[in-house]
Amino acid sequence: MSFAISILEQGLIYGILALGVYITYKILDFPDLTVDGSFPLGAAITAMLITKGVSPYLTIPISFAIGVVAGICTGVIHVKLKVRDLLSGIIMMTALWTINLYIAGTANVPLFAQKTIFSLASENTLFAKMGTYITVVISLVVVVICKILLDLYLKTKSGFLLRAVGDNDVLVTSLAKDQGNIKILGLALSNGLVALAGCIFCQEERVFEISMGTGTIVIGLASVIIGTSLFKKASFMKATTAVIIGSIIYKLCVAVAIRNFSPQAMKLITAVLFLIVLIISGRKKTKANGMKA
Amino acid sequence: MKKKLLCGILSVGMVMTLLVGCSSKKDDTGSKEKEYKIGITQFAEHGSLDNCREGFLKGLKEEGIEEGKNLKVEYKNSAADMSLSGQIADDLVNSKVDLICAIATPSAQTAYNAAMKTDIPVVYTAVTDPVAAALAKDDGTSVGNVTGTSDKLPIKEQLEMMHEILPKAKNIGIMYTTSEANSVSAIKEYKKYAKEMDLNIVEAGIAQTSDISLACDGLLTKVDCLTNLTDNTVVSSLPTILDKANKKNIPVFGSEIEQVKIGCLAAEGLEYTDLGIQTGKMAAKILKGEAKASEMKFETITKPGFYGNTEVAKNLGITLPENLTKNAVDMFDKIEASK
Amino acid sequence: MIELQNIEKYYNPGTVNEMGLFHDFNFTVNDGDFVSVIGSNGSGKTSMLNLICGSIPLDSGKIIINGKDISKMKEYKRYYKIGRVYQNPSMGTCPTMTILENMSLADNKGKIYGLSKGSDKKRVTFYREQLSRLGLGLEDKMDNLVGQLSGGQRQAMALLMSTMTPIEFLILDEHTAALDPKTADIIMELTDEIVREKNLTTIMVTHNLRYAVDYGNRLVMMHEGKAIMDKNEQEKKETSIDDILDRFNQISIEVGN
Repeated sequence: MSFAISILEQGLIYGILALGVYITYKILDFPDLTVDGSFPLGAAITAMLITKGVSPYLTIPISFAIGVVAGICTGVIHVKLKVRDLLSGIIMMTALWTINLYIAGTANVPLFAQKTIFSLASENTLFAKMGTYITVVISLVVVVICKILLDLYLKTKSGFLLRAVGDNDVLVTSLAKDQGNIKILGLALSNGLVALAGCIFCQEERVFEISMGTGTIVIGLASVIIGTSLFKKASFMKATTAVIIGSIIYKLCVAVAIRNFSPQAMKLITAVLFLIVLIISGRKKTKANGMKA
Repeated sequence: MKKKLLCGILSVGMVMTLLVGCSSKKDDTGSKEKEYKIGITQFAEHGSLDNCREGFLKGLKEEGIEEGKNLKVEYKNSAADMSLSGQIADDLVNSKVDLICAIATPSAQTAYNAAMKTDIPVVYTAVTDPVAAALAKDDGTSVGNVTGTSDKLPIKEQLEMMHEILPKAKNIGIMYTTSEANSVSAIKEYKKYAKEMDLNIVEAGIAQTSDISLACDGLLTKVDCLTNLTDNTVVSSLPTILDKANKKNIPVFGSEIEQVKIGCLAAEGLEYTDLGIQTGKMAAKILKGEAKASEMKFETITKPGFYGNTEVAKNLGITLPENLTKNAVDMFDKIEASK
Repeated sequence: MIELQNIEKYYNPGTVNEMGLFHDFNFTVNDGDFVSVIGSNGSGKTSMLNLICGSIPLDSGKIIINGKDISKMKEYKRYYKIGRVYQNPSMGTCPTMTILENMSLADNKGKIYGLSKGSDKKRVTFYREQLSRLGLGLEDKMDNLVGQLSGGQRQAMALLMSTMTPIEFLILDEHTAALDPKTADIIMELTDEIVREKNLTTIMVTHNLRYAVDYGNRLVMMHEGKAIMDKNEQEKKETSIDDILDRFNQISIEVGN
């Protein structure tokens, strides 16, 4: 059981990240590399605030907000300064490395002695009964709230416009709306969620480490692609649910690789498992290419 | 439909391998001698860290706990990936090992975090500053069921040694990676002791390997000699630095044996294998029940040793003082190609 | 009223590929006009539409709508008054959204896209009515994704969507060219109906000479950035497709093909 629990913990926390990446990659069709910087950004601000004695609960909205700012920066670089999408992400990712160092103060901030949302919850009698399940339960609550809010948002008028801009930006312009601003909005929301994931991850691992963002985009993309392609035909399931499950499956792949193979082979095995999942789900590029014509 | 079926089989298969993986490792508790099972989580693939691991197993062996006989080792490496490091730590905890050996700071932190909920002790090594990493209190006592060894550099001794070899050198250059917490704290310490000895530390911070060449050129115009930390990024580019420094006839000091082997003039430094052995012995005590991790202070290398390279000295036209060489742990008379 | 005054437009200026398209080009569309624009490829028809909408920048000259100079106005702002249907049916709809969601999106044009519910239940009946006009049965598929519809169905929706809110000008950019003849006829008929009903000032670029002659009250033929033929309602009635074809051939001979 405990194997399943730790996979769920990690999968759920990275599920928040997957929701963020889903917005940019699937909805906006924007390969956003900012996440490699905004994930540790959320962690850095969380570690800094918690060591300063700020309530761990408060770090959640603050991380989200600062992630939003990072996303806006990427958006402005791309939309207003007309830098290509990949490049604007790389620029922000690079800049955030230093910003994260400044925020956290050093490259490694441990939080063993401090309170986190998880340790606070275990003091609460309601949660305390859950024992080892506590981390999983809290992660689940956070990711489900994020998912529901995102689902609701995507059903609003503003959400409609966001979905439209990735699909067909010409239409958005025809609706007398500046598509650039909508893209910035999407990047802001996405990076807000990613930073929030960083915040929760940092509290769960009880440490901020500057290098913790490396490869975040790979995990995020893998989760989104696994999730959306595995459950493509399952119309009862929302894409937002699918990407969270995708994240859990990704972590399962990694766990299987850790468990059964030598350390050197780890990454290769993960890659192969990832590939197998994709082949089985028969991934095809579904988007109509004609739209860009 | 076929695909869905395949997909289902795959998922079930994955879960099965997980479960089988754990059930098959149940050891036979019926045997006479107790068999120990430990997990090793190492942060990255790296020469010094590998030496630590080998030393650790050697240390255990010296205390009668030998791999293949009465010891089972699960070794995991997280390839410098934090999220992987966390998952590995969880995995080791779930495998119910008797002890986790964590090599390097991030691994030590994730291992301690994962083991906190259980009674599995964590023994770390190659953590430069256990206090800053929140693994030990200011007085060196443990914060929990965790202890280990620090690879903190003998900075004061290093500066004294450098002063003895090059009495006229005033400006000492150090290159380090700004993202490595260990390097940052080492720089602080260098500055502190340098001030006491009326020396001047010229630092050059880099972000990644590609910055090294430029930073090195800049630094070499301002200094009388260079010294190294155990900074991962800088050390892996040491050949480049040595090459540039040699062209300007500027001596480069190292911080451990490997660096002296490949062309640093001298080092008052660490032998990571020894550090590992020391850690292994601590772990043995814990495994045998002779001591508790929570009651053990973290240790540093008992005494630093002098390492020198006479070929480098000859090339630079420097003679290494005899009172250093006669007590040297190891002297090299040629420059080895770097690994 | 749309006025284009002294328009200059060069492509790839300063390079060997420099190509002058418009040189001192003047063109006026009066309120209530339905102008059919024809011409060979590269004659400047679509470029003219793009200049009016702001999709491509102007080198010099003025574009005036209802007496107001909009030459510097951003593209998206111009669409407050303009509706546009493209040749490619995918350009006017969102494939990953449902018919209902697409209609709601278009229905909100000109208003704030805030955090209120995306589709208003009260408007569903209205959307059904609108869709039923198309006679394509779309009103019963409100929850289907638009990406699953055929090109003709999408183009019909695009036309509905672009004219749903109060606009003054309708820009039709070869909007029947990608459709099969039968669907094209239906769309063209519908276009005419909507234009009359809403009294829209319309510019329609088309390659279909029959439509150009049958619909609208003014006919313009463009060639090398100039309007070489401009017939008003009366003259147009007396013009046959053959007359236009003759003129076309004439141009082709001048160009040398």
